[in-house]
Amino acid sequence: MNMKGMLQRKFGLNILSEKYSYGLDPVVGHTSAQKIPDQWVATTCGYCSVGCGMFIGVKQGRAISVRGNPHHPVNQGKLCPKGLSEHYTLAAENRAKYPLLRKNGKLERVSWDEALDVMVAKFRGVQEKYGPDALGVISTGQLVTEEFYALGKLVQLGFGTKNYDGNTTLCMASAVAGYKRSFGSDGPPGAYEDLEQADVVFLIGANIADNHPILCQRLQANPRKTLIVADPRVTKTAMMADLFLPLKPGADIALINGMVHILIGAGLIDRDYIEKHTSGFEELEKFVQKYTPEYVSEVTGLSRELLYKAALRYGHAERAFIGWTMGVNHSVKGTETVNAINNLALIRGNIGRVGASPFSITGQCNAMGTREAGFASSLPGYRKFENAEHRSELAALWNIEEQRIPASRGLAYPDILEAAVNQKVRALWVIATNPVVSFPNLAALQHSLNALEFFVVQDGFHPTPTTELADLVLPAAVWGEKEGTYTNSERRVSKVNRAVAPPGEARPDFEIFLDVAKRLNCYDELFPGWTQPADAFEEWKRVSAGRLCDYSGISYELLEEHGGVQWPLPAGTPVPVRSTRLYGDGKFETEDGKAKLFCIEWEPFPEQPRQDFPFILNTGRTVEHWHTRTKTAQVPLLERMSPNAWLEMNPKDADRLKLKPHDAVDVVSMRGRVRRVELRVTEMIAPGQVFMPFHFAETNANQVTQNAFDPISREPNYKQCAVNVEKAHA
Amino acid sequence: MSLPLLEKVKEDGVTYLLTPLSARPGPRPEPSERLYEIAPIAPLPSAARIPQRSPEPGEQYRFHFDMTACVGCKCCVVACNEQNGNPADINWRRVGEIEGGWYPDTQRLHLSMGCNHCLEPSCLLGCPVDAYKKDPVTGVVLHNPDACIGCQYCTWNCSYGVPQYNPERGVVGKCDMCHGRLAEGREPACANACPTGAIRIEIVNIADWKQEFAAGANAPGLPSADDSISTTLITLPRRLPPGTVKADSHRVRPEAPHWPLVMMTVLTQLSAGAFAAISLAQLLGGTLRLGAAALASLLVGGLALGASTMHLGRPVHAYRALKMWRRSWLSREVLMFSLFSAVAGLYAGLLWFKLPGGPVLGALTVLLGILGVTASARIYMVRARPAWNTRHTLAEFYLGGALLGPLFAQSIGISLGRVLLWATVIAATAQLLNVVTKFFSLVRSDVFELRSSALLLSTTLASRLKLRAALLISGGIILPLFVHDRSGALVALAVALAGELLGRYLFFVSVVPKNMAASYLAAGKKVA
Repeated sequence: MNMKGMLQRKFGLNILSEKYSYGLDPVVGHTSAQKIPDQWVATTCGYCSVGCGMFIGVKQGRAISVRGNPHHPVNQGKLCPKGLSEHYTLAAENRAKYPLLRKNGKLERVSWDEALDVMVAKFRGVQEKYGPDALGVISTGQLVTEEFYALGKLVQLGFGTKNYDGNTTLCMASAVAGYKRSFGSDGPPGAYEDLEQADVVFLIGANIADNHPILCQRLQANPRKTLIVADPRVTKTAMMADLFLPLKPGADIALINGMVHILIGAGLIDRDYIEKHTSGFEELEKFVQKYTPEYVSEVTGLSRELLYKAALRYGHAERAFIGWTMGVNHSVKGTETVNAINNLALIRGNIGRVGASPFSITGQCNAMGTREAGFASSLPGYRKFENAEHRSELAALWNIEEQRIPASRGLAYPDILEAAVNQKVRALWVIATNPVVSFPNLAALQHSLNALEFFVVQDGFHPTPTTELADLVLPAAVWGEKEGTYTNSERRVSKVNRAVAPPGEARPDFEIFLDVAKRLNCYDELFPGWTQPADAFEEWKRVSAGRLCDYSGISYELLEEHGGVQWPLPAGTPVPVRSTRLYGDGKFETEDGKAKLFCIEWEPFPEQPRQDFPFILNTGRTVEHWHTRTKTAQVPLLERMSPNAWLEMNPKDADRLKLKPHDAVDVVSMRGRVRRVELRVTEMIAPGQVFMPFHFAETNANQVTQNAFDPISREPNYKQCAVNVEKAHA
Repeated sequence: MSLPLLEKVKEDGVTYLLTPLSARPGPRPEPSERLYEIAPIAPLPSAARIPQRSPEPGEQYRFHFDMTACVGCKCCVVACNEQNGNPADINWRRVGEIEGGWYPDTQRLHLSMGCNHCLEPSCLLGCPVDAYKKDPVTGVVLHNPDACIGCQYCTWNCSYGVPQYNPERGVVGKCDMCHGRLAEGREPACANACPTGAIRIEIVNIADWKQEFAAGANAPGLPSADDSISTTLITLPRRLPPGTVKADSHRVRPEAPHWPLVMMTVLTQLSAGAFAAISLAQLLGGTLRLGAAALASLLVGGLALGASTMHLGRPVHAYRALKMWRRSWLSREVLMFSLFSAVAGLYAGLLWFKLPGGPVLGALTVLLGILGVTASARIYMVRARPAWNTRHTLAEFYLGGALLGPLFAQSIGISLGRVLLWATVIAATAQLLNVVTKFFSLVRSDVFELRSSALLLSTTLASRLKLRAALLISGGIILPLFVHDRSGALVALAVALAGELLGRYLFFVSVVPKNMAASYLAAGKKVA
């Protein structure tokens, strides 16, 4: 504002009437004139896996507004507060704009050619010196499926390293491993429509009101349901429950086994279904005998009355939906807990029917895409490394030698980091994730990253706590700046479109991958003639054809027309009007075609509270923020509504420690100390437990969390560790 | 004093700001080529969230907030800001938290609130420039930024904290129930964004609501609906957990000090008090330095009134504040002090030129001064600010003038023996009593806002309160008892004036306004 403008404002002659005027948008109607775009671009939200359809309003090449798509089958026009303000993330100040290479200890701007030449030379150098697996790659759930598909081929076949995993291992790996063990394949069997159709909705360790609020809309549309919520913390979701099971941390398996015990005893099981479509019931029946209500009540802290109520409500439901998220997955027993949940669904035949499903509500917008196409924890198309037939199928599809396809999975995310400490992995490429905030036990992680010879971070944002440590930063386009597809939790594939150009020299990840391939001389072999994501999508359709996640009937045009389409959709099949489910025919992807029932033993979580660390720390989220806040910290309104981390503590504990509401406290574990967290004294948390959100780099919960991992899925045990709470020094 | 508000608005002959839907001409604009080509968008499925007819006479629109459906996602807040193009720190719709019970039988409930479009809107009542209208068709309380001068009096008057001052514009703004969207047959942005349908628009019969509102519009975490007869219907859970309180009840922070108003109120009171001293001196036959004292008092009063315009968002339009003298204490204050200045100017002229007729004008000046100070005090005596809404406010304002005025006159050189000094000592002693009794009445109160004021004064502001008392005692009582000359009086005046300014500062910062419950975390502030 110039001097004249300043004076006019100061004296009150100018009240910015134009800026604050209203206008008529032909699509959304009367609205702030600043928010009326030249064009609305349809796309899919880039935050979580609910997969909401939306429009980005573009004016003069800038994203100025977003709206929910009222015709999208997932969200019917609604968006959560993050989605409603997503356009602010595109023009955020902390966007990565230019390639940066560390020279003399400082990150300096370089050309793309120099950046990629250096990257390929360094990676190749390390691989030549220490072997191909000395390169580690950690990707994400944030890219489009086309990029995941290309990246998988580039890493496994181009670079030839097996040590490739995603941050999805911090998120839903336990669900994947659990599904694979129970049903023979990954793939959530149900659909969101089940929330609307179920008699009982049983949520375990899932706080959808904070994490997937748009699913609450689907739940609300079901007037006859009984909502049962099991959670140690009285979450927003627990408060919606008809029946709340405030169990002790890590006691889920005991609860589920106890319910199975009661159901078998009461004859509330589907013997016909069990016989035809499952294996292992006899063992399970014997196994759960010891999970008597008395024993389970002792382990879970739930009264026998509550246990019976929950079991009988579930048992009498004709259609029951069991949903879970990180309360289950973030555990050393995560995979097994998923198996226990699947047991509970299977013994009542609650799978493959309307309203009936064991359903993992996924985290990131396209975690599903990397699971399907990613070539990290499995071969593309839910194929298995160990399966020779699968390998030869792929070799034929790709026209390469079968030997080039690994016969076993490489290292998982935490194991890649450990290999870095042991000097087995010497170079690391991290794509669209921020481990310095998101990985457990920060001190150990830093040790690992410091041991690397060359560390590349490809991200849409810089600086982040992770890019600051990188030797090379590659600036990437993000949601809203590139094209492709996302798959949501209910296997619905939706189109993602480019609304605006990326800032500076940032490029879509897809282009970066192809450019790297050209430098590796594998472009013509692996990506013949590819220039855009559609080229990858066409090949992926062929690769997925005939598999559980069959995309062969899906096209970009179809996605635009329907807003989103569920797989499987084999070529030639019309798009179903209603939602679809897997395993409706009772045929599973196991060798005998039957789902497996598992005998899962409850065990106490690994780090129990003790005298010097008497509290159990639980970590989680709040509705205003996404993951490590690289995006949402750039949205002023979200920051205003949720400006800092807090630590929830029961008033009994606070009184004992002479702590008052809003005191600044330190959270201390054997591994580290989080300084100056605002204390929230509340009855939402049980005595002996404390809770804090993990979004905030400034008060990073992962300074104290434990690096203990599920032996099967390798997912970290984020949800319980032993801490002490001290009043912070001024 | 009760003000016949609604009738007044209608008498003013307000034009219909929102035409009834049925009479609205023309079809909805055709979608243009700017529409996304693949997915043409039909009208939003808003039918269930707005009434399908416009209100009839005796009816109005209202919000219906279903607390049992709200999941606290705050979509409504974001949608509202986007709809209205407001910056992040202005939220016409807010979500607060209340909680109660004991683990695990506990509930945290959320309160989403825009404007309650009250039947007796206190924002409208107090507005000195008539910037507010209650739309006669829809009942929506509308604010006109072009008329607004940014005095922010409405922000003090509303018990819910609804009108919010936008420093970028210099005017206030508030929720208008998206009346522009309603006119198009669309639901407000908040209702549109709510994933669980917790916000709806309904039609309410005004006469019925006046009988029923206590049961429908009150909720834990909200101020009493009595203050202005909120029209928002709130559906509460059948069973509220015991001891349900605001989540932010432990977070009490000082309000803004409003320095221009601290200066303005104290100095106008000094000026009025000084004219009283001068006029008394004249009556008692004194002549020495009367003219100089009057001119000095006039100057101080004039500077104070000038300073007060610095408080406005739009100082250029300060004159508009005279407009609503029939119902706004702010208008009355401006009117009274304008007249006071004019008459005091004449009076000072007479004294300076030693012309006759002084005593009559002097008495008139004093009368207008008292009326001005009274109007000043009444501005602050509003329901939404309980710590101000007491006789202590009147007493503080009167006594401020009574102790500073004589001391000012004395220090200019008027001498009535020790009469003026004794006046100061008596007034200061009364003021001290007033400060002490107010503090203890706050401490003893069971009203949340009053107790919170006491908490502020006994913690964060404690040292400032002690200093205020010390300045009052030394400048208003001890020094005047021992003063022998003008310079002594001047020292006492300086100390006493500092005491009153500090006292007025505390008056502004220690008030805890009524408001809806907020979030546990302070908005936009990093942890201390």
